[in-house]
Amino acid sequence: MTISPEKIDVVIVGSGAAGSLMAAKLSQAGKKVLILEAGPERKLQDLTSSQIHARRLKWAGDAVTEQGAQPVGNGFNSGYGTGGSALHHYGVWPRLHSEDFKVKSLFGKGLDWPINYGDLQPYYDRIQQEVGISGDHQAEVWRPDGAAYPLPPVPAFQQSEIIARGFTKLGKTTSPLPMALNSHEYNDRPGCLWDGWCDAGCPTKALANPLAVYLPEADKQGAKIIHQATVSRILTDKSGKKATGVTYRTAAGDEVTQLAGMVVLAAFAIQTPRLLLNSGLANRSGLVGSYIMSHSAASVFGLFEDETAPYMGPTGGQMLNQDSYDHKDQRPQGFGSYQWMIGLAVKPNDLLGIGGSNPGLFGAKLTDFMKTAAQHFGNMTACVEDLPLAQNRVTLSTETDQYGLPLATVHHSADAASMALWQGALEEGKQIFKAADAREIWTGPLGPMHIMGGTIMGETAETSVTNSYGQCHDIDNLFIAGPGLFPTSGGVNPTFTVHALALRSTDYMLKNWSSLT
Amino acid sequence: MKITRRNFSLTGGALSLSFLLNGGIIHLSPAQAKERALPYQTLTPGQAALIDLLGDAIVPGAKSAGLSYYIDHQLSAEFQDNLLILRYLRVPAPFDGFYASSLAAFESAISQKYNKKPRDLTETEMTAFITAMMQSNPDGWQHAPPAPFFYFVLRSDAIDVTYGTMDAFDSLDIPYMAHIEPGHTWEVNP
Repeated sequence: MTISPEKIDVVIVGSGAAGSLMAAKLSQAGKKVLILEAGPERKLQDLTSSQIHARRLKWAGDAVTEQGAQPVGNGFNSGYGTGGSALHHYGVWPRLHSEDFKVKSLFGKGLDWPINYGDLQPYYDRIQQEVGISGDHQAEVWRPDGAAYPLPPVPAFQQSEIIARGFTKLGKTTSPLPMALNSHEYNDRPGCLWDGWCDAGCPTKALANPLAVYLPEADKQGAKIIHQATVSRILTDKSGKKATGVTYRTAAGDEVTQLAGMVVLAAFAIQTPRLLLNSGLANRSGLVGSYIMSHSAASVFGLFEDETAPYMGPTGGQMLNQDSYDHKDQRPQGFGSYQWMIGLAVKPNDLLGIGGSNPGLFGAKLTDFMKTAAQHFGNMTACVEDLPLAQNRVTLSTETDQYGLPLATVHHSADAASMALWQGALEEGKQIFKAADAREIWTGPLGPMHIMGGTIMGETAETSVTNSYGQCHDIDNLFIAGPGLFPTSGGVNPTFTVHALALRSTDYMLKNWSSLT
Repeated sequence: MKITRRNFSLTGGALSLSFLLNGGIIHLSPAQAKERALPYQTLTPGQAALIDLLGDAIVPGAKSAGLSYYIDHQLSAEFQDNLLILRYLRVPAPFDGFYASSLAAFESAISQKYNKKPRDLTETEMTAFITAMMQSNPDGWQHAPPAPFFYFVLRSDAIDVTYGTMDAFDSLDIPYMAHIEPGHTWEVNP
């Protein structure tokens, strides 16, 4: 059965970081907005404090086949349900640096963004004021220009203080980690309790996930959201140059046509290109799906004589080091940027937990380790840049979903220079832990962290899918939002930049509304 | 309304699973299900015994924590409600074939190496076998996912059920600090 509700101003596909922000801003401007979310409804009350229960927040939609030497980890990195991936994100919000926007021009590798840091800085500043980032911009000596953070930094607990000794001994710098996590009450949201349940979703609103900030605002302004609504096609007029809406399937399997003046795809870096490819749109460049990237996590672990209270603090860490960020071509090995997130709060179980850190231990040795590590464990993780490669891409599978639409296949094998950078980060990490007097030191395997690219922005229709506002080169009223727009990954967590880009796109839409629709 | 830990915290148990029993739903921890020797829903008794045997050798305490009941219960859940670590690891659902084939390969490899049933291995033999399966497929391990991967998955499951509960945190002297305790919202529709 096909149902055709009345035409609305904007339909947004996906309720994650970008989709929720755009819904809030566009509805605030008086636009009639509908969000279509493929996953189920999540409420704050659903966010149970458990690493096991947290798995429900991760991808459980249409199957994604992963290929390549370094798969992107869709099952862990993609969210499912209200808030998307941002519902389980850890709130680490550093900015990209100036170099990140001009990697090709400066170093002859990777790609350039069609904007520079200065274009995005005002949006970073606006977002951080609205959301409330905790940090110390002066201690963060590497940070590019921008306003001071509105909240004092997150506290440092024993774990990060002990590890920071190693950085200091080696002449390196540490600062508080900039976090979208309230160090005290801000904008009617409470301060964090430092209990390390970020991965399970923060129900108190201390962490700026979509349920805490932009979805309530969108709701207040009249935006609607429909859950378990899987978009199957983007519709266009006969010319193919204007989007007219989308079709989606309801949980009951009904096919619905939703007409809209503007279509925004914010379904993350894999499902957005799948939707474009299935619709046969916006692909004059042939690059829809290309340049998929994923940061490589370089994890270093240790046991210390002192008690570390490793369960205290935010899951994303407490301190930051970006000494290996700028001058991408001056690393001891490899190419690119990385940052250390120091003193991540851990639980005993799960992939990133104490037990998971040392998978070679079993039997009585594991029992002894768990008892010791519960009080003496330390860890830090480097977020390592991944160079964009055209062959790392989302393509359509020969397998289909229950309605006959091809599923997504994602291929990702990292560039040798990116792998060498990851290896170099691990070596540096071990030296730092040694300097911090860790009595045992070990490292983890490469873990994929964040997914970016696949619908990159750029200067021309021949070399990119969208312009700098996320507007498809081929269709004026079809926008893309989210980390899929990134032409390069940088070496920082992407969510702050996703917000800044989405706010910039929204300003552009509203300013040019009549000509776009 | 401001949400604080105080009004979010619920009383109740730790890891609890729902079971349909005598026409009614009861909520039990995996350990309680084991104590009551409830019937398995997906695993055969033989598969459950192998899970408990190998899981407990890898993570001591996993058997009494109810590892086989935990896995059995999750295998009967819809994918989007499934809580097994496998959903992170690029294994397509449903997962019952993953466990069934791996357990059959485990039994076969033990038989080939020791000419024994797994339950008859000495502690030394089991330790040697686990050490070997961590690194590569032992002889006789066939028609199943790679042995090192199965080791990793079963170890993670066993750590979940043994160390992922409120009681287990307490035993490690780790404060649980729940915003919302898992007891009331853990159940999966049977």
